[in-house]
Amino acid sequence: MKQIVIIGDSAAGVATVEAIRNKDKESKIIVLSDENFPSYCRCVISDFLAGKVSEDKLIYRSQEFFKENNVELLLNKEVIKVDPKKNRVAAEDISENKKEDKKSKSAKLQFDYDVLVLANGASPKFPELPGIKKKGVFGFRTIKDTKDILQFVTMADSACVLGGGLIGLKAAYGLKKRGLDVKVIIKSPQVLSQVVDKQAAEFVGKRLSDNGIEILTGSDVTEILGNGDIKAVKLDSGKVIACQIVVAAKGVKPNTEIISETEIKINEGICVDEYMKTNIPNIYAAGDVAETFDLTVNKTAVNALWPHAVDQGKIAGANIVGENIKYAGSLGLNSLDFFDLPVVSMGIYKQTDNHEVLAKTYPADELYKKLVIEGNRLVGAVLVGNINQSGVFLELIKQKSDISTIKDRLLNENFGYPDIMDLTQGAERSYV
Amino acid sequence: MKKIYFDVEKCLGCRSCELACAISHSAAKELEKMISQKDKSLPRIKINFSKDKNYPMSCRHCKDPKCVSACMAAAISKDEKTGQILYDEKKCVGCWMCVMVCPYGAIRPNKKVKIPVRCDLCTDIGEPQCVKGCPVKAIVWVEETELERVK
Repeated sequence: MKQIVIIGDSAAGVATVEAIRNKDKESKIIVLSDENFPSYCRCVISDFLAGKVSEDKLIYRSQEFFKENNVELLLNKEVIKVDPKKNRVAAEDISENKKEDKKSKSAKLQFDYDVLVLANGASPKFPELPGIKKKGVFGFRTIKDTKDILQFVTMADSACVLGGGLIGLKAAYGLKKRGLDVKVIIKSPQVLSQVVDKQAAEFVGKRLSDNGIEILTGSDVTEILGNGDIKAVKLDSGKVIACQIVVAAKGVKPNTEIISETEIKINEGICVDEYMKTNIPNIYAAGDVAETFDLTVNKTAVNALWPHAVDQGKIAGANIVGENIKYAGSLGLNSLDFFDLPVVSMGIYKQTDNHEVLAKTYPADELYKKLVIEGNRLVGAVLVGNINQSGVFLELIKQKSDISTIKDRLLNENFGYPDIMDLTQGAERSYV
Repeated sequence: MKKIYFDVEKCLGCRSCELACAISHSAAKELEKMISQKDKSLPRIKINFSKDKNYPMSCRHCKDPKCVSACMAAAISKDEKTGQILYDEKKCVGCWMCVMVCPYGAIRPNKKVKIPVRCDLCTDIGEPQCVKGCPVKAIVWVEETELERVK
């Protein structure tokens, strides 16, 4: 009987399981997770931090799901390394509390596989700063991170978030909802510099400021101060800001360490072909750890996003059980909503000289729509305030449709599926 | 599974379908009472007035639903038995991922209550109310295989 080992039980890992079980009920599937909580909605931890969502609502796939699908889900198993020559994964049980450092004494585990899926995600990057290891400095990626922060929240009155990306702003939002004074310290001149353009960032930044989150752009933290507990952070301007909590949100990096000694090709993430296969034939990668072809910038990129992780997992799983399905490619794809201002950004959001831009801005109403065009193709869109029909733009981007016949209508108020249906041929029939 | 299809040649763009939908999804379930309610009931079906014609649109209950893949809160799922796309408001956090990925633009944000608005085929009533509400029978609720016959 075939044995499939999947490292990671989040979006990509679960989608892989579902795709395998669609066709193959027999093979043994082992899913390893280094967390203490079964598959959960990672992107919702900011609402958990905010107190809007309770822990039980975070469940993505329950223990029952794994049981019903005849999958052995093993939590608290940290994979140490992968040995593609022996087709074996070495892991450690980290059930014991890490703080007590019993990890070294814990049992070494080994899992043999016929097929391996690397769906082990990414981890927060911590900037190298004096004081970064202090108690009270957190990443913001897991339920455990969130619970650790919550333990500090009751004793704190202010927090600093390092980084103004999506994770940083979500952490800031959650902490603000808990009643803390929150400052977001951002090196670049705008919030969300990796997600939206300057105009959209202005709207989001204003919305955050209006709701009491202080945004400090163009500044960087040089040191975290305090003996034992955190007292303050020091900025490059020399200014000192008092706080008891620091959240490091300087982006994430794919978890490639476990294969660093193997022949598996790594660029920024694990390199995969369009079948989600690595350069080792029986090893696949999917989700935040994988580097895939970005269909808007036409080169490979790590687009660590939930919907992509699901799609990639589905494809890996289907191909493992004998299908031959190609992944169409990823792209930047973000939807956010801070204090009731919806924003969608997809593909190329900052144009260069090669691009043509169609845009409409109504600053007073906080409405903004920008479309980025390359030749006859739509390659990016940013929508603020009114995000209706954004999926129609996404379809044009993904299908690489020739938009020359509809270009004059793209910014119309009522632009929608009927305008594109002759170009994209939707999979589902709508009209008789 | 029976789905909703639209006959563009028949549609007058009168928006009776939108109204019927809004009523059936309101707390009051009656037009007069619905109008006076504070939280407006939004229609799950919308007519797109495009290219000199009227194109009604509502959730396609896709075979390969993009909204299900994109839902990071596990609030949208597909019932593998019926093929229907289900939505659990209790799990939804209003992130708008579903709105962003729907190729048909058939999911809209209700910004006020922070939930996506999409067709549930009026499962609780047993029959989509837009179908009943259309005065010219431009909306049909049939199996895809029956479409040619209906046409």
